[in-house]
Amino acid sequence: MAQIPNLDNAPVNLTSIREQSQKELINILKNVRGKKCLVIDPKLGDSLSLTIQTSILKEQGVELRHLSAEPIQSDCNKVIFLVRSQLNLMRFICSNVHDDISKGLQREYHVYFVPRRTVACEKVLEDEKLHHMITIGEYPLYMVAMDEDVLSFELDLSYKECQVDGDASSLWHIAKAIHKLEFSFGVIPHVRAKGKASVRIADILNRMEAEEPINSSDMAVPEINTVILLDREVDMVTPLCSQLTYEGLIDEFLHINNGSVEIDASVLGLQQEGKKTKVPLNSSDKLFKEIRDLNFEVVVQILRQKATSMKQDYTDMTTTTQSVSELKDFVKKLNSLPEMTRHINLAQHLSTFTSKPSFLGQLDMEHTIIESQSYDICFEYIEELIHKQEPLTTVLRLLVLFSITNAGLPKKHFDYFRRELLHSYGFEHIATLNNLEKAGLFKKQESKSNWLTIKRTLQLVVEDTDTANPNDIAYVFSGYAPLSIRLIQHAIRSGWRPVEEVLKLLPGPHLETRRGGFSNSPSFDTFYGVSNSIDKVPDGRRSLVLVVFVGGVTFAEISALRFLSAQENMAYDLIIATTKIVNGQTLVETFMEKLG
Amino acid sequence: MANVSVAAEWQLLYNRYYRKPELYPMRWKHVDLARNKIAAAPFGGPLAVIRDDSKIVQLHGESALRKLRLFSSSGHLLADTVWRNPGGRLIGMSWTDDHTLVCVVQDGTVYRYDVHARLIEPNLSLGKECFESNVADCAFWGNGVVCITESNQLFCIADFKNPNAVKLADPGIVEPPRCMAVIEPQYTVSGNVEVLLGVGDGGEEEDAAVIAVEEDGVQRLGGEMLRGPLQKMVVSRDGKWLASFTHDGRLLVTTSDLTGVIIERECESALPPEQLAWCGMDAVLLYWDDMLLMMGPDGEPVTYLYDEPIILIPECDGVRILSNASMEFLQRVPDSTVSIFTIGSTSPAALLYDALDHFDRRSAKADENLRLIRSSLPEAVEACVDAAGHEFDVSRQRTLLRAASYGQAFCSNFHRDRIQEMCKILRVLNAVRSFEIGIPLSIQQYKLLTPSVLIDRLINAHQHLLALRISEYLGMNQEVVIMHWACAKITASLAIPDATLLEILLDKLKVCKGISYAAVAAHADKNGRRKLAALLVEHEPRSSKQVPLLLSIGEEDTALMKATECGDTDLVYLVLFHIWQKRQPLEFFGTIQARQLARDLFITYARCYKHEFLKDFFLSTGQLQDVAFLLWKESWELEKNPMASKGSPLHGPRIKLIEKAQNLFAETKEHTFESKAAEEHAKLLRLQHELEVTTKQAIFVDSSISDTIRTCIVLGNHRAALKVKTEFKVSEKRWYWLKVFALATIKDWAALEKFSKEKKPPIGYRPFVEACIEADEKGEAIKYIPKLADPREKAESYARIGMAKEAADAAAQSKDGELLGRLKLTFAQNAAASSIFDTLRDRLSFQGAS
Repeated sequence: MAQIPNLDNAPVNLTSIREQSQKELINILKNVRGKKCLVIDPKLGDSLSLTIQTSILKEQGVELRHLSAEPIQSDCNKVIFLVRSQLNLMRFICSNVHDDISKGLQREYHVYFVPRRTVACEKVLEDEKLHHMITIGEYPLYMVAMDEDVLSFELDLSYKECQVDGDASSLWHIAKAIHKLEFSFGVIPHVRAKGKASVRIADILNRMEAEEPINSSDMAVPEINTVILLDREVDMVTPLCSQLTYEGLIDEFLHINNGSVEIDASVLGLQQEGKKTKVPLNSSDKLFKEIRDLNFEVVVQILRQKATSMKQDYTDMTTTTQSVSELKDFVKKLNSLPEMTRHINLAQHLSTFTSKPSFLGQLDMEHTIIESQSYDICFEYIEELIHKQEPLTTVLRLLVLFSITNAGLPKKHFDYFRRELLHSYGFEHIATLNNLEKAGLFKKQESKSNWLTIKRTLQLVVEDTDTANPNDIAYVFSGYAPLSIRLIQHAIRSGWRPVEEVLKLLPGPHLETRRGGFSNSPSFDTFYGVSNSIDKVPDGRRSLVLVVFVGGVTFAEISALRFLSAQENMAYDLIIATTKIVNGQTLVETFMEKLG
Repeated sequence: MANVSVAAEWQLLYNRYYRKPELYPMRWKHVDLARNKIAAAPFGGPLAVIRDDSKIVQLHGESALRKLRLFSSSGHLLADTVWRNPGGRLIGMSWTDDHTLVCVVQDGTVYRYDVHARLIEPNLSLGKECFESNVADCAFWGNGVVCITESNQLFCIADFKNPNAVKLADPGIVEPPRCMAVIEPQYTVSGNVEVLLGVGDGGEEEDAAVIAVEEDGVQRLGGEMLRGPLQKMVVSRDGKWLASFTHDGRLLVTTSDLTGVIIERECESALPPEQLAWCGMDAVLLYWDDMLLMMGPDGEPVTYLYDEPIILIPECDGVRILSNASMEFLQRVPDSTVSIFTIGSTSPAALLYDALDHFDRRSAKADENLRLIRSSLPEAVEACVDAAGHEFDVSRQRTLLRAASYGQAFCSNFHRDRIQEMCKILRVLNAVRSFEIGIPLSIQQYKLLTPSVLIDRLINAHQHLLALRISEYLGMNQEVVIMHWACAKITASLAIPDATLLEILLDKLKVCKGISYAAVAAHADKNGRRKLAALLVEHEPRSSKQVPLLLSIGEEDTALMKATECGDTDLVYLVLFHIWQKRQPLEFFGTIQARQLARDLFITYARCYKHEFLKDFFLSTGQLQDVAFLLWKESWELEKNPMASKGSPLHGPRIKLIEKAQNLFAETKEHTFESKAAEEHAKLLRLQHELEVTTKQAIFVDSSISDTIRTCIVLGNHRAALKVKTEFKVSEKRWYWLKVFALATIKDWAALEKFSKEKKPPIGYRPFVEACIEADEKGEAIKYIPKLADPREKAESYARIGMAKEAADAAAQSKDGELLGRLKLTFAQNAAASSIFDTLRDRLSFQGAS
């Protein structure tokens, strides 16, 4: 199980939130006395692994199992199902209980819903006539700290559910999570939102505040000054581009899952052939913290420098006489050796991917599409990918990018691509195409694209990006400044007003409000003024902006935000919350639905 | 001196003083305790009075119908009602902890009244057996009752909140017991009630005993120790001691399990007392006709004479004595009071009290007194505060508190909040002790009862204003009070029109932030005021409370609207399922079709669990394409199910389904593409079935068109591949890629070369090069690389198979410096190759410069 990230350096007290979650879970387990079998739905298991150590669960007399259609094997006669309140999971619980009944096993069943029980799920249990056998409870885990500055609501399907199914359940969840944060850190006085879902969340948040007011007199100054909510729909271009930061690239090629990556042990130069090993990737790793957000090109150089200097030190050590303190320094450096070897190995492994012509071709194509200059070249490139039956996600990723920047494709091309896709990959993918069309990601062109205007106005393509000493967020994509972060940059600096024209070109409404008892405080007026006259939290820390991505965020975008936060003229610390950390592939995958 | 008069009212029993202040002169008129049965609730609770039907009384021009009258402890009439209950004589009557009056009649029926003399339905029964043989006697405790029938069987309701009659074990006696007492469940070992029955007739000593009966067992206690049967028994408040009166006129105090005698006193009378009661924990009261005797552990008993009948009402710290004219409270004088007011007391507290007196009279003796007690001033102050708390007389409370406050001024280390706290308590106590309210709580009772229970009792008695003031004063949550008031108001205001009543209610409800409007609305609905309920629920800010209520009052559409607005999809589902259950499918479809979120959630749910119903929905709303998608999806499930795919696959149910989907898609213009795709899919399946038959290999069905072509080629069946190609109009471009890769898979290089020469490939030779390089066949690749049109591609292809020189040449041809640089990196390890690139690049830049 992955290492639980250290949150001591978090700009707000995330540790207490995590401890609360731990306590709640332990209480649930304690309430069921004796030995018990804890059956977790696998995705939830991932979020739990960032919340609590397995060893603590074991201390509670727990036998851990994963929920699936297969009947669980356990001798315990007390079973606790810990599941997200997802309709399809109910089927598994029912089949498990029915299986026990048919075998004549008498067990005590508890179902704990995360984050709360829902009528729809209970209805399924009722319809299956199991309701009376099951004790139902709730485990209110609304978010998980991925790192000291990243929170995840772990709603991986949120974007698809909202856009395709019209199921807005996740929006309530997000609002509730933010509201919970407010209970700890005070009512957030400023709200900025862009996109339909974000504006709705702001609305629900206000309703919650009216229904369950936070006693603001308990808190002197709210710790979080502003929340910026942004729909993924507003910027679908960025996540579809290949990330070029170190962490982003690891995710693209090796898939980071809950703050760790699983790779062959041989990659790390370990002797166990064929065995997988997990490498935790978070800010507790000092070297990783230093290089995670940098462009991969630079990371390679830095690692080389570090290795060289280490080698130099070593030679000095063997050849010349050293004082004791120098020896001490050297030993200290040696301590960072395992981290360095690990990252050098990882980087080397990554470069085997980055040097592939197919990857270079893809990068080239992404930039061509973003530049929006040569339609035909892009068209032919994608056509060829389909003909060569390249992996479907790779194809769809480029195709969606192509469609979005062109505001859809002419009907003839749209139908042609769809036909070629069905022919090459099978008719079962009609559902995927239908989903993408419903979400507006791959569709028929109905109006002229305004991508060029957006790109120009917001200066999304930056020539001559110096990746080693960047002065703009564009370094994360070697020349393309992510649209989402550009918007947030404006929102933090001066609010929506100066960029209103461009906002109107992007999907969904936008909103800017103040709330709570602080709306009349002088701090609000200065907010619009020069950004360096911002109110400071008494102990000298900078005040906080919470950036919420509704529909997912990529590591590259997180890196870009960290870059912004580190700028000298920046008055805020940033904390990022997202429905899920995504990349082009995982995002496209959520829309994939095979009929077969 | 003032002190003397205080102590003069005390009586000394053994070594303790007792006092008996009058709490109230009774306000009632024409109530004669002798003619009535009385039930008095402890903690200064109400009194129930009803004419005793076991006595022959003369009616003084009053109705023959009996009236049940409820009074406060001050004799203020709270409510009355005519007693018309059937079931025979009233055997017993008592108040429960939550002030419900329970009345047991002969046939075992239990009638319950609230403090407003309203009958609480339903009536309870002690069971059939009780009904058949009459109830002879009963004994009550906090929330329960035990009855004994004429056939000497015992029945018990252990808790009126959960009223189940239970039969206890058969005591096995023939004669009715002489007396009965109960030990409350909380004080017994078993946790169930224990009934003590005094049995035996006067003559035979050995028969005399106390029988302890429980639910599952009978025990004979006492025996010889008793020396004859008991006439009267009473258990102390803590269930530890039993006071009893023997047949030969002795008062016995024993442990409640009758294992040891603690006190044995002779009384002058062998006639059992009418009433026997504990006064606190250290004295027992015996009442005969006109005499009340108080016996302590030792010393002379105290005698009080009454010329009118009295009722003893035991409290935790004394006994209230009710007579026709007054209510008195007999209690042991608290130690603090004794120390101040005993005649000749020189305790620090007494001196402090005295000092205040001097101070008030501007006498210098005040200072002298203070000097005397300097070292023990704190305890003196404490004693004054404590004594004030025990006083019922307001002016004496004041004097004592002033003495305390005076002393405190000279005393640095006294806990200052004590006086303030006591003032607070006393203000509350004085308020509830007033005549109008009539709850004469002592401070000890108040602390035992707790303020929140007191407030519950006040609102139960509809003293809402006082309850509100007290809860405000004590800083407690006022929500309970306001909520109860609002509900009571609704019940009592049948004549007030909805709008007016709403205004009255809102005016008060707004006092309390966060109060549940929904709960008040629910009450209005229960009282048949649906309109008012709807108006009230509108003000409920919490959707989670508002929506369920709207559903229960039948406002489904508003509920759906509110649920949708608040964004909590769980509430939308709640409404959805409610409407779904209640309405006809078509009506239901109509309702949700109009509301997007509800509709989408329904679809999401139905997709998982109500597939057929979903089809009905789409059909009813004319979304044929969605039905088509569902059918198409089913076609795959059919394939997985071996039972369903029986029969000829060519006309199998699966293909039929797909064709059905195709037709449905064709109904709407927008779905021509899908219709076409479905048609092709059906065609493909047929073709694949045929292929599986001819090749006898089950590897075709459910692969894509491209994969089918590849498979055919791999199998060497080029004719079939071509057939698929033409059948589905596969473009030349795709065809070339597919065939080239398929041939490379089986490493049929000869066929590949032949294919390349068939005609000039429509997309050039790149597929050939790529296929060869990917198969790691350099030799084959070289055949095609020279044929590539683009020098850049050529260069990269050479580079990929490691031919540096050729790559460099081609790159030079392309005149692309960036490409050269990149290729050089590829050959970084190869020094010779590297230098080639450098030279070439130099030449290139030179050219560029010139």
